[in-house]
Amino acid sequence: MTNAYSYNWCMEFVNCMEEKEPIPFSSVPKAVLLPSSTEEVQQIVRICNEYNIQFKAQSTGLGPWNQPSSENCVIIDLRRMNKIIKIDDRSLYAVVEPYVSGAQLQAETMKYGLTVHMPGAGPQVSPLASATSMNGPGFTSPHTGHSARNVLGVEWVLPDGEILRLGSAGMKNNPDWYIGDGPGPSLRGIMRGWAGAKSGIGIFTKVAFKLFPYPCSTNFKLSGNSPNYEFEIPDYMKLYVMDCKSYNYLEKVFLKIEEEEISFICSHLSGYGLGAIFSNSIESLMDKIPIAGMLVPLVVLIAARTKREFDYKQKVMSKVIDDFKLENVIGSKYTPNSLFYAEALRSNLGLHGFIATGGFQSSKGQCDTANVCVNTTKMSIPLKKKYIKRGVIGNDFGEGVWITSYESGHYFHIESPTMFDQTDEKSVKGMAENMEENYQFDLIKHLGAPFFVEGDRMHDLFGPEMMNYNKWLRKIKKAFDPKGIADSGFYITAK
Amino acid sequence: MQLNEEAYQTMIKRCLRCSICKWIPQVQIKSKKYATACPAIDLYNFHPYSGGGKIILALALEMGRITPSEELRDIVYKCTECGNCAIACKFLNTLEPLEIIMRLREKLVKAGCGPMPKQEEYIQSIREFNNPYNEPHEERADWFPEDIKIDSKAKVLYYIGCTSSYRRKEMAIATARILNAAGISFNILRDEEYCCGSPILRTGELDTFEQVLNRNLDVIESKGIETIIFSCAGCYDTFKVDYPLYRNYNFKVVHAVEYFEKLLEIGRLKLTKEIPIKVTYHDPCHLGRNAERYEEWEGDTVQILPLISMDIPPKPKRAGKNGIYDAPRNILKKIPGLKLVEMERIREYAYCCGAGGGVKAAFPEMALKTAELRIEEAEDTGAQVMISACPFCSTNLQDGINSRGSHLKYYDISELLLMAMGLDPEKLAQILSEVD
Repeated sequence: MTNAYSYNWCMEFVNCMEEKEPIPFSSVPKAVLLPSSTEEVQQIVRICNEYNIQFKAQSTGLGPWNQPSSENCVIIDLRRMNKIIKIDDRSLYAVVEPYVSGAQLQAETMKYGLTVHMPGAGPQVSPLASATSMNGPGFTSPHTGHSARNVLGVEWVLPDGEILRLGSAGMKNNPDWYIGDGPGPSLRGIMRGWAGAKSGIGIFTKVAFKLFPYPCSTNFKLSGNSPNYEFEIPDYMKLYVMDCKSYNYLEKVFLKIEEEEISFICSHLSGYGLGAIFSNSIESLMDKIPIAGMLVPLVVLIAARTKREFDYKQKVMSKVIDDFKLENVIGSKYTPNSLFYAEALRSNLGLHGFIATGGFQSSKGQCDTANVCVNTTKMSIPLKKKYIKRGVIGNDFGEGVWITSYESGHYFHIESPTMFDQTDEKSVKGMAENMEENYQFDLIKHLGAPFFVEGDRMHDLFGPEMMNYNKWLRKIKKAFDPKGIADSGFYITAK
Repeated sequence: MQLNEEAYQTMIKRCLRCSICKWIPQVQIKSKKYATACPAIDLYNFHPYSGGGKIILALALEMGRITPSEELRDIVYKCTECGNCAIACKFLNTLEPLEIIMRLREKLVKAGCGPMPKQEEYIQSIREFNNPYNEPHEERADWFPEDIKIDSKAKVLYYIGCTSSYRRKEMAIATARILNAAGISFNILRDEEYCCGSPILRTGELDTFEQVLNRNLDVIESKGIETIIFSCAGCYDTFKVDYPLYRNYNFKVVHAVEYFEKLLEIGRLKLTKEIPIKVTYHDPCHLGRNAERYEEWEGDTVQILPLISMDIPPKPKRAGKNGIYDAPRNILKKIPGLKLVEMERIREYAYCCGAGGGVKAAFPEMALKTAELRIEEAEDTGAQVMISACPFCSTNLQDGINSRGSHLKYYDISELLLMAMGLDPEKLAQILSEVD
């Protein structure tokens, strides 16, 4: 049974990068435990301390960072901790346990006319994990932000089994969850920083995070059968897909639209990525060649609750289109299936990345200005093409990136989804090489820290170039977990 | 089986561990409470009990990381083979979790590590008595009231199935009476009817299944049957979907709900009595998502770009779209005074009753608990009555109603139809007591 907990997505090339056999299995955990409460989590952690056994906690469990990195490790599967503790529709936050999925929480918040941020990994993953332990960009980020910025009060079982409550959740009198900082210095940076500790500094058992107005009517009607549902598109939604033709122009349009604060989705995708979000199979992807041929597409979805709001947003988009001499191809050259709108509202678009080869992972992952993100895209094309030419990664003409904005365009995120075939050893090894070379490239070109800087080797690679943050991270680890009981394979050890 | 060894070996390496298989299609999630798809992972929690978890175990077995064991058998057989994981997975992916689980069971049987002892007992009963209940074969047609008219020369056959013959006789009686009322000339096989083989097939015991299949087809074909009507979803699915994978036949198979819907449409059945109740309908897995035929595909998998291949023409995706969902609902909507209210999980993503895949025999506590979950969902609709169209669902759901102390009543759709045609429910009860 424990073998099922040693397998994960991308594990094969992570093994390869660590000069291990390129198989999708990690070390097998000594045991798997299923606590149902914070108290049980504490007891398990204390036993781990007593017997000097490492633990790795996971909630919905997608990704190699859920894996044990040593033979001396147990998995704490938080699946039974699955309660929505509170939805505060006046103060706009929800408090959840680890195994509430994004789709579950959204279904409940929709009853209040609200929605929740979900990461690109999809609505089936844990918003708690994203808020506390992982990066967290999503397709709806212009409207719902970034996981790092949405987190409020937190209940945290430290590596010694003690509980720490952050922000207002830790107050002696009238504790509640509405804020994550103070009293005194905020510990959010220590808890998760930008990218999260992936269970390397304890276990998060409850978290509060921000809720946002659902962007349009919550009347959600589907008909037909999976996977070709028909969706009754709510009033006041409009999709724009425009070819900016050049990256410089993309940056200008991106910034203008985000400055206007009107978008629910505002993403640049490559031509391939554009085709993928409108397709549910490789065969249907091929039908999208007319739009997939766009040079530098920008996807904008606006949504509103009232006609007045909708009219305003449309007027703004019309002006942007006129000013920048763009063309919206939706409705003229291409009309997506109605299901696209349903998936956009339910944050299901990221999963479309898997339809071509079955496997992908992102290099890059910087959060920075629009300029840095766009330049990163441009500069990375030749490197990606090198691996495409070798036939070890899928051909997206080197342009396969996803860029989205946050907080009215104050910052942006870029990642470079790269398709590979996890059943083909040559492709797996090529993907591993591609990732390594990308990391070196990001360092040499000063492109910032990518998404998956994890483990001692990577932190020690990037740290010296980034204000020696690795030394500070190590001090935090040492202060919170001097015995190294929390598995740090995807964080940093105290060595 | 549809999934050949080569495809199996490739597919088991392609699970993304995304856990989509644990949930109904994401865009269909309407509440936290009824978001899940899989009874096994819902009840046993550890990841290997999920569809994806079983795929990982299949890979671990092939790689020699694990060996057949009682623990592995327990996990693989604690699955109702309802196929809900496959519907969720195939929303965007191309894996076949249900086919993989079925093939994994075959492999365990071949390795001497399956099926479960209780399943082995009922397989032995099928070998000896032609039914899984250890009932005498000569009593198979004892349900048959003498006033029901049959025609030994009819080209329409009503195939009753083991569960309706021995355990849910009311369904057999109701179906036969409706056919009589519509003036349909039909025959039954009496002691020439044997188990369809579904309970064997689902455990992975293919040798016995093929023997059963061949005997059934030999008998039916010798009588020149043109159409078979089934009131059992399991038998229907097995004849419709599984038999053609082993041996083709030339007769038509229909489930009673499809047949009754047509009879209503052409006016051969008249619904005269008001039934002023609120009902909810449970889609049996074998009548819904799993009753979709495998479509023949002849084409090529062409590499269009390095690492990217495409099926030309596109390979049909068996995602439950051709299941029987509308016919039972159309019947219910035609019953005067009746109000149909839907559960959250319906049609191709309906939650399983908990009985299938040999679970009712091998793990009765899992079957019962799953039924209770489904009953709770039905209760939440505000319905007074739960309706379905499968004798195996009927048994398990009624067990769930009893153990949960639910206010719900359960009827097969044929019983309700008979009531709406004017037959007093009391009379139906009398008939039942006479038969019993």
